[in-house]
This record gives sequence, structure tokens and C-alpha cells, in this order.
Amino acid sequence: MKSLAGYLVAAIVLSVLAFVLGAYQTDVYRKLLLWITLALGYNFLFGVSGQVAFSHFTFYGIGAYSIVILTTQLQWALPLAVVAAVLICVVAALVVAIPATRLDGFYLALATLAFAQLFVVVLNEGGSLTGGTGGLANYRIPDIAGIRITGPWYTVVIVLLMLGTLGVLWRLDRSYFGRACRAVRDNPEAAAAMGIDPRRTRVIAYVITSALAGLAGIVYAFVDNTVNPVIFGLENAFLLLFMVIIGGSGSHAGAVIGAVLLYLMPFVLSPLIGHHHALVFGLVMVLAVLFQPRGLIGLWEALKSRSQAPLRGHPR
Amino acid sequence: MNDSAALLQIRGLSRRFGGLQAVADLSFDAHAGEILGVIGPNGAGKSTTFNMIAGALAPSAGSIQFDGQSLAGLPTHAFAARGIMRTFQHNKPFPSMTLLENVSVGRHTRIGTTLWQVIGATPSARLAEQRCREHAAEMINFVGLGEWLEADVSTLSFGQGRLLEIARALAGSPRLMLFDEPAAGLSPAECERLIEVIRAIASRKICVLLIEHDMRFLMSLADRVVVLNFGRRIAEGTPDQIRADPAVVEAYLGDLGALTRA
Repeated sequence: MKSLAGYLVAAIVLSVLAFVLGAYQTDVYRKLLLWITLALGYNFLFGVSGQVAFSHFTFYGIGAYSIVILTTQLQWALPLAVVAAVLICVVAALVVAIPATRLDGFYLALATLAFAQLFVVVLNEGGSLTGGTGGLANYRIPDIAGIRITGPWYTVVIVLLMLGTLGVLWRLDRSYFGRACRAVRDNPEAAAAMGIDPRRTRVIAYVITSALAGLAGIVYAFVDNTVNPVIFGLENAFLLLFMVIIGGSGSHAGAVIGAVLLYLMPFVLSPLIGHHHALVFGLVMVLAVLFQPRGLIGLWEALKSRSQAPLRGHPR
Repeated sequence: MNDSAALLQIRGLSRRFGGLQAVADLSFDAHAGEILGVIGPNGAGKSTTFNMIAGALAPSAGSIQFDGQSLAGLPTHAFAARGIMRTFQHNKPFPSMTLLENVSVGRHTRIGTTLWQVIGATPSARLAEQRCREHAAEMINFVGLGEWLEADVSTLSFGQGRLLEIARALAGSPRLMLFDEPAAGLSPAECERLIEVIRAIASRKICVLLIEHDMRFLMSLADRVVVLNFGRRIAEGTPDQIRADPAVVEAYLGDLGALTRA
């Protein structure tokens, strides 16, 4: 139960922070937590399961749009709408995953890229349902039993979302399922000989991470109280990929570090060098891929093992 | 040993590749606790036979019965759960994992918890995971790599990698272990070690089926040998019977020295 205590402490500390921040910092803080949540899920899909998919941010959008449409246009109660929106993500993920996971590497990337583009087109052409290019706005979070969760309490919801996502992915990663995902990524033929169904493993990993992205999108919908096609475009899908690569793909800690670093970088650099911060971003990206493909977490582990090297047992 | 007791029954097994009949009308049995060797000159159909029994290749005709049940039409990944595990001729470890994790993957089909139990971190899921690690560690000790449980597989020598393959397959609690040219690339000392390990596996009532190129290695290890040539069985018997079989001598005429040395 040590891990449960750890989660509890993290939940309290991160929640307390929500009550001391000003309006602007709260906005940054909430989005940072959401980026971390997304990066954790994408790390499992891309880093652990080895699927080069560009659809993760799209499911964030599907979740967000679904919850808004269900609660405003259909007037569903919030809990029911949340369940329905997650189900929509699961079904959409299955529809994409079952044909797409037949594809390897490059072609999976292309198929999910096409899906991501299609989603933006649908949003733009969706008429009154999606609000077209302007998206949907002027809504707010519905009451649950007469109570409306707002302000710092809504930030607490985001904290719980992030920690819940971490908890689910952490447990999956440390289980036979996580090992199966890594095995399929490393060598599908050997994995099949061990009794692992490579396709089924890929589909399950894809659906779980997509559903978690959808859940994050549901929460996001009531952060800005507006959803529009620009937010869910490819730019953010690539940013997510860069976060995981810079942090160190395959590692939860790496995903958190990558998300924090890349999300906060413009806030730190913009006042100093203005729009040139994009240049710094590109440079960091190129350097990371060239010199540290295992990301910052790989750098950290290399330093750590160097200091401990004499203690470790090596055959021969 | 009578036929009804055979764990593995192969009847009329055939495989065509276009115009090439790689394996034709092959029949043999293998029993629990027995070490059965399959040999033959290059191109005799050994690997094709192996791949069909391992589920990596579908037969064109014939049947493979395991424990009285047909394996026809099963996908590759369904063989492990039935109790059929294999090693690869060219070691195929999972390079991103430690030895313990590699061998734990071999236990995949024996864990028996659902993903919901894993996500809920139920006591049964925790216990199953702990047992899996213990069993994996036991298998690694069994093959003699116990010192390096947490080491990366990249630090292993080729011979140690072969032992890891065996530990990983054993972790699935197989009833039939398939070895694809296990002696290939090993030093004489490593071969000795491998013979010990394979004998210990057979003594656990596991049926061992070896496909092998190295005659000396196979003849010193197998209880029974099936000889293939041009996809057909030309002889079957104990190593002594095989050495004396005129059909085998003829098939290996080009390599007579290998046969007499073995």
C-alpha cells in the first residue's frame, strides 16, 4: 500500500497548489497537467507499445467535442455524458485500430495521420453540430446534483485525472500486459512464440491509451469552455511526439519531464527572445534525436549507472 | 511405448512451396520425457517440419495431433497456451528487457489475471505477478544464469543468450519443447552444458524435439532419431540403429566422415 500513500501525497500537494495560484497561473497549471496526462498515454502507445500513431491528440478532441455536444445539444446529465463520451472514444479507437494495427511502422503512421486530418475536416464541415471553423463556445460545465465544480476544485479534478492516468498506465506497464507490449515492439515473432497475440496486444494498447486521451479531452472541454478545430490540429499531435522523445520514450518519468519542459519552454523563452523560441525548440529536438535518442531520462540513467558501474554484476 | 500414449502424433505431414515438395508424407510420434532428434542433410525439410510443429507455418496436408487434439488452423500464438514452446536458432531475446523480464514474457500464458484485475491492483493480480517473477527466476537459475537476473540481455554472450532462450521457453511450463538447431554457434564447452540442460528438461517429463545439423551433438543426446532426406523420412530408430542404417549412410555419403565420427 506504499504506492497508494504516494499517490495520496501527490494528490494533496498538487491540489493545494491549485488553491494558491492566481488566475493566469491556474490556466498554465491546468494545461500543464493535461499535457502531462496526454504525454503519459502517448508514451505508453508510442514508447512502450511501439506504435507510431498520430491519432492520440485526435482522441483528446473526440472526447472534448463529444462531451460538449452531449451536454449542451442533447442536454444529457454530466455523468451519463462522460460515460457516453468515453464509449465513443473506445468505439472510434476500435474502428481505427482493427484495420490500422495490421499495418506496421510507416503505414500505421500514415493511416493515423489521415484519421487525424479527417477529424479536423469533419469538425470544420460539421455545421451546427460541431460549430464549423469557429467551434463550440458559450457553454459551461453542467451541475451534478445541484453542485457545479469550478475554480480550484476543477483543477483538483485535473490533478486526479493526471494521477489516475499515471496509476492505470503504471500498473499496466508493470504487468504481463506491459511486458507483452514491449515484447511485441521488440520482436513480434518471438512474442507470438511466447503465446502473445501481437495484433490483439496492439489493439488493446491503442484502445486503452485512446480512451484515456478521450477522458482527458472531456476534462479539457470545461477548462477553456470552448473547443475549436485549430486546437486539435496536427501541430499539437507532433508536439506530443516531441515531448515523449525528448523526455525519453518508454519511461513514465521521461514523459512527464518532456511534457513539462516543452510546454513551459515558450513561457520562459518568449520574454527573452520572442518568437525565436521555436528555433530553440527545433534545435533541442534535433540535438536530442542525434545525440540522446533515449531522451533526458536516458541521459539521467547513463549518468546514474556510470557512478554505480563497479557495483553492477556483468556476465563475463 | 504405444501410439496411443504419444504426446505428439504427426501423420502424413506435407508442405509444398510452389513446385517444391519440402516435406512429404511425414509421420512420427514423440513421447513425454523423450528426446527425439530430427536430422537430415541441408534442404531435407528439417526447418519446414519444425516450423509446422511450432505453428509458424501451416501444413499443406496431413495432421499434427498434440495430446489427442489437432493443431490445425491455430494461429502461432495459440501454441504456447497448449503447452508447446520453442527456441530460435538465431537467438531472439527482447533487447529492451532484463533477463528476468525476458523470461517473465515466456510465462505470459500462465498468469491468468485479467487486465481489470491488473488496473485494480487486486491481491490476486499482485500475487500472480510475484509468482511469475519467482518462477522466471527459478528458470534462469535452472539454466545457470541466476547471477544476472537484472542484467540487460545485451551483456550476455551468444551461448548465454541460447540458455536464456531455453529459460524463456521453459517459463511457459511446456509439455513439448522444440529446439531449432540449439548447438549452432556454440563452443564445445557450451555444447556440453547444453546437453546437461536438455537432459534435465527431459527428466521433467517434458517431450523434447530437436532439429539439428550437428550429428555428433545429436547422436550423443537423442533417445530416438528421425532422419529426413528430400522431405521424406528415410530412417527412424535409436542413435545406434541410425549409424548402422544403409539408407542413412547413403544419404550422408557426401558427408560420410561426419557420420562415422558421430
